[in-house]
Amino acid sequence: MSLAFPWSRTLAVLLCVLPALAQDGDLAERLYRSGERAYAAKSYKEALDTWGQLLQSAPKSEFAPRALLDLARHQVEVEHKPEAALPYLDRLKAEYMRAPEAADGLLLRGVLLARQARRSADLKDAMAEFNRVLDLFPESPAVPEAHFQLGRAWGNQGQWGKSLQHFVEAFRIRPDAAIAPRAMLKAAETMDLLGDLPGCLRMLQRLRLLAPQSPEAQEAAWRIAVRVKHRMQKPPFSNEGSWPAGRVKWLKTPTLLATAPDGDLLLYQYDLDHAFRLHNGELSPAGPGAPGAKALVATATGEVWLLSKAGLHREPAAAPTPLGGLGAITGAALDRWGALWVGDAKTPALTVLGADGTSRTVASPTANALAALPTGGVVIAADADRKLLFLDADGQPRTVVPYGKDLPAPFRYVLALASDGAGQVAALVDGGDFGEGVILLGPDGALLRQATFKSLGISGRITSLALDRSGGLILCDRRNDLLIRLN
Amino acid sequence: MRLRRFLPFVFLLSLGLGAQDPALKDTFLQAKALWASQGDREGATARFEKVVEGLMPKGATLDTAWTQVLCESYNWLAVLDDRSAQTKPRAQGRLQALIDLNPDYEVDRALTSQRLAALFDRLKGEKYAPVKFSYLPEGGTLSVDGHPGPPLARRFLPFGVHKLSYQRPGYAPSELSLEIAPREVKSADFKLTRVSSTVTLYVQPSGAEVLLDGRSLGRTRGQAGPEAAPLAVPLGLRPEDFAEAFVIGELAAGKHQLELRAPCFRTKVLQMDGALATPWADHTLEPIRLEASKGTLSVSSAWSGGELFLSGQNQGPLPVAQLPVCSGPYDLQVRFPGGGFSRRITVEDGKALVVEARPKPRLAFLGLEGETDFTGRARFLAQLEAFGDRLQQVAYLPARPGESPKQALARVKASREAELILLATPVPDKVVHRVELLVATIDGEEERLLVKPLEQDPLGPLAARLNTVPPISEPGLGLSLLDVPGEPGPWVLSASEAAQKAGIQTGKALTSANGKPLLSIQTLRQVLEGAKGSVALAQGAAPVALPVQMEALEIPLSASDLCYPAVLAQLRLQYAGAKGDEANLIRLNLGLGLMHFRKYDKAIDLLRDARLSTVAGVSQGTLDYHTGQCFLRLGSAYQAEAMQAFRQALKYPQATLLGPDGPLVAPLARQALEDLK
Repeated sequence: MSLAFPWSRTLAVLLCVLPALAQDGDLAERLYRSGERAYAAKSYKEALDTWGQLLQSAPKSEFAPRALLDLARHQVEVEHKPEAALPYLDRLKAEYMRAPEAADGLLLRGVLLARQARRSADLKDAMAEFNRVLDLFPESPAVPEAHFQLGRAWGNQGQWGKSLQHFVEAFRIRPDAAIAPRAMLKAAETMDLLGDLPGCLRMLQRLRLLAPQSPEAQEAAWRIAVRVKHRMQKPPFSNEGSWPAGRVKWLKTPTLLATAPDGDLLLYQYDLDHAFRLHNGELSPAGPGAPGAKALVATATGEVWLLSKAGLHREPAAAPTPLGGLGAITGAALDRWGALWVGDAKTPALTVLGADGTSRTVASPTANALAALPTGGVVIAADADRKLLFLDADGQPRTVVPYGKDLPAPFRYVLALASDGAGQVAALVDGGDFGEGVILLGPDGALLRQATFKSLGISGRITSLALDRSGGLILCDRRNDLLIRLN
Repeated sequence: MRLRRFLPFVFLLSLGLGAQDPALKDTFLQAKALWASQGDREGATARFEKVVEGLMPKGATLDTAWTQVLCESYNWLAVLDDRSAQTKPRAQGRLQALIDLNPDYEVDRALTSQRLAALFDRLKGEKYAPVKFSYLPEGGTLSVDGHPGPPLARRFLPFGVHKLSYQRPGYAPSELSLEIAPREVKSADFKLTRVSSTVTLYVQPSGAEVLLDGRSLGRTRGQAGPEAAPLAVPLGLRPEDFAEAFVIGELAAGKHQLELRAPCFRTKVLQMDGALATPWADHTLEPIRLEASKGTLSVSSAWSGGELFLSGQNQGPLPVAQLPVCSGPYDLQVRFPGGGFSRRITVEDGKALVVEARPKPRLAFLGLEGETDFTGRARFLAQLEAFGDRLQQVAYLPARPGESPKQALARVKASREAELILLATPVPDKVVHRVELLVATIDGEEERLLVKPLEQDPLGPLAARLNTVPPISEPGLGLSLLDVPGEPGPWVLSASEAAQKAGIQTGKALTSANGKPLLSIQTLRQVLEGAKGSVALAQGAAPVALPVQMEALEIPLSASDLCYPAVLAQLRLQYAGAKGDEANLIRLNLGLGLMHFRKYDKAIDLLRDARLSTVAGVSQGTLDYHTGQCFLRLGSAYQAEAMQAFRQALKYPQATLLGPDGPLVAPLARQALEDLK
């Protein structure tokens, strides 16, 4: 009897506990499904409450990590509060590392950390998360995106070789993954940065054949077009006349041009103190009003920023952000960290305004014009030195091009610079024996195409330029209130 | 006297005794001979006993001739038993058995003593009474209680009520009911009314299907009797060369189409005139002979060791050339030492069919694990059994009845009769809603997928994946092309030396292929798919002929539309029949397949000894790069080997991954080396 008692007691406990565990499992699944149903119906509060209840009542259930991941995604995708997602992801990482959802959790955590990064060193934690996905969950569907994110991270550090490795792995190991077209596009651009133009073009073509309906294939199409035209065919510039065709005297003193991420032309009209977007031949206001703007910047998300003596104008801010005494702005560009690089004719350095409001200077000759480069750096024109400097993301010069190199005659001034996202840089030049005209350089600074306005029959006052996605060059003529397209 | 009595038996035996054991026939004849010629009673009895023992168990199923033999044997045994005091009591039993077997049988009164004959009559009278029949017209079939038989003039029927029916083609059947009582003699008279014409056919061969106006009436059978002699002899044939008469009754008024079909013979179609149908009469057509119909079949294969089976019949080892085969459909199978080939073929009359057999991997279905019942189990099992009908790239071997999956696996592993296995296992739950399907190679590379048995087509995705075989080469022209907006056709980015020598200019668009406008690379791909030998390309001027060459490809990794165990099995079979660069390209892809399963050590085994003579595209540099990758995955112990492989890869600056237009290997190998440093 004394021996039997503990056994019977154990059995009794087991009999009580086992159904309870089973019921817990049932309850967890029902709670999770209920949350899913509410979420699908966009009853977010109900869904979040239900999943919260699940985490409290059945934290050991297999549905708990799923709920945590869904809660984190909600914060990122619906609430747009990535910082609120991190605690869920931290808990997922700490308590459910063996669950299959941990792979997606680590990936998302890495992506959020990478987004927060403001310099290369900040990417360390994010890259560790991506590497964890590769090492701990090699079979997970998250692996291709982990490779893609690692490719981006290495690229952001200027490590093109490592970057290419990961982009290639991202589409090679799972060719039908959703990320594959993006990875192919990035691989192609990285090949170009590594100096493999044919490889870049082949990869872009491959993307067009394998994912013809993807947005990346549309990107690939224009990237092929401009590279082939500017770098391989290199036809002499020809003047197509006013653009859009037949439009003359239709603007109010256009002075600045830029290209939006979607390819639309942005232009600033001095007399209207406002920037406009030209879409299908129609103008529509873009960005805030800014009298006397000297630089026009399009952000990756489509916002339009204007810089004037008064400061940086951007919506929704009511007043411009002061630029710390920069009074002769010659150009501006955003880098991959969201920092704004500003050139000033009276400052022998570049001013970098961080996304967090900080400001620093990067040693440089006085920049008379400035444009962003796909490497993450910028290209500046230094009239005093009569050189174009291709700077990397740290502000170090990688390529120096003397004014007039490979031209029949040198010029003295650069009035404006523009780039097209595929590595080509256009410069509006003046002075010297060359006179007024345009030159087009490759990513390595090699001269690709050039023409003087005299040879093109242009006699207006050209103040800015932009490269379009068909291999054309748009000029704005403030005197004649029109745009001109060179082909 | 005894010998004369013998003769009818000999005739009967010659007619229809072939179906039983021939030894019994000899025993029966010996028994009679022993008694007739030697008076050996014991010897004759022993042999008759043997005949009875042999035939009695099949009593009800014996045909007329053998029933007659058995009846006579009983009769003889009764007579022989009756002659000895010791065996006399058995005589009655013999007679009773005879009556039970066939009450219409009449004992041989010349052989049987009067006393014994009287006993026979008495025994029969205890259960049966005679019925006299008359038929008009004769030659029909009499059925008693649904059992058809010959229209005898007298029959003994057991006491009670019987349903009698008499019928003959071309006449309305007649039925009547008759009550039989002891010691009564009843009579039944049948007079039929004519309702249609009949047509009697004698057809060669036996077994031909007879169709009237497209409707099957049955098949000819047996051999014609002497009644067919007047028709057969004028044709120089014997009656037995034809099947027994096939009668078409109830021939409706008007014209008819008669069709005769038989395997291995040409189908014959005859138009029957309306005069055959009206006025009503019995017609016999001229004998019809179907002409033999054959074709030839030749089967060969680049793979050795194949053995041909036609609808299950072994036809010997490959190659098989000009094998005469009856025309018709067949299930053609070639069994190779590794893999199989199957195809449904139709051999046409007078035509030669040539088949090139490429072995396919065989997928053995091991069965559904466990006895767990679940809704849809029977439907799901039926779908699995019929799964082979949906597979084009693998030969499917259904599960064997009564064999457990474990036993099936052991059998397949021991016999190596399949390269792939499929096992279905219900996922345990309160209610089974999911079944796990395991597809694996015999060497253990496996994939698992979950399906819901109640889905519309739970096996559809697996069938699609098993039917997808990734190519390891594609037709090309040695050109690298771009679709450039604004250009009239594909723009030549680069061209091989041979293409440049032929006149292709880089930096210029192609405008036509084989004389047709060429708008895009996609169009050129379609041209290449159907191209034979060469393609004529123009760049706005005179066309240039470029030979079509196969360009190497890598299989994609982790593609959702591929079943990788099947891909490996396919490649292994291909490898068995390949040589030179083709074999080494297969080795490269086999290595990639093993890398998919993270079997890097096995992959190295394949990759390190492979040598490709090509240096551009997927080539030797590609092999070296993947070898390095495999060594990297094995850990730091193999760092030196990995570095060596990457250095090797750098020697081939034109080598690419994936395909001819894939990323270059060199920058990737260079980076890998830097990482290792």
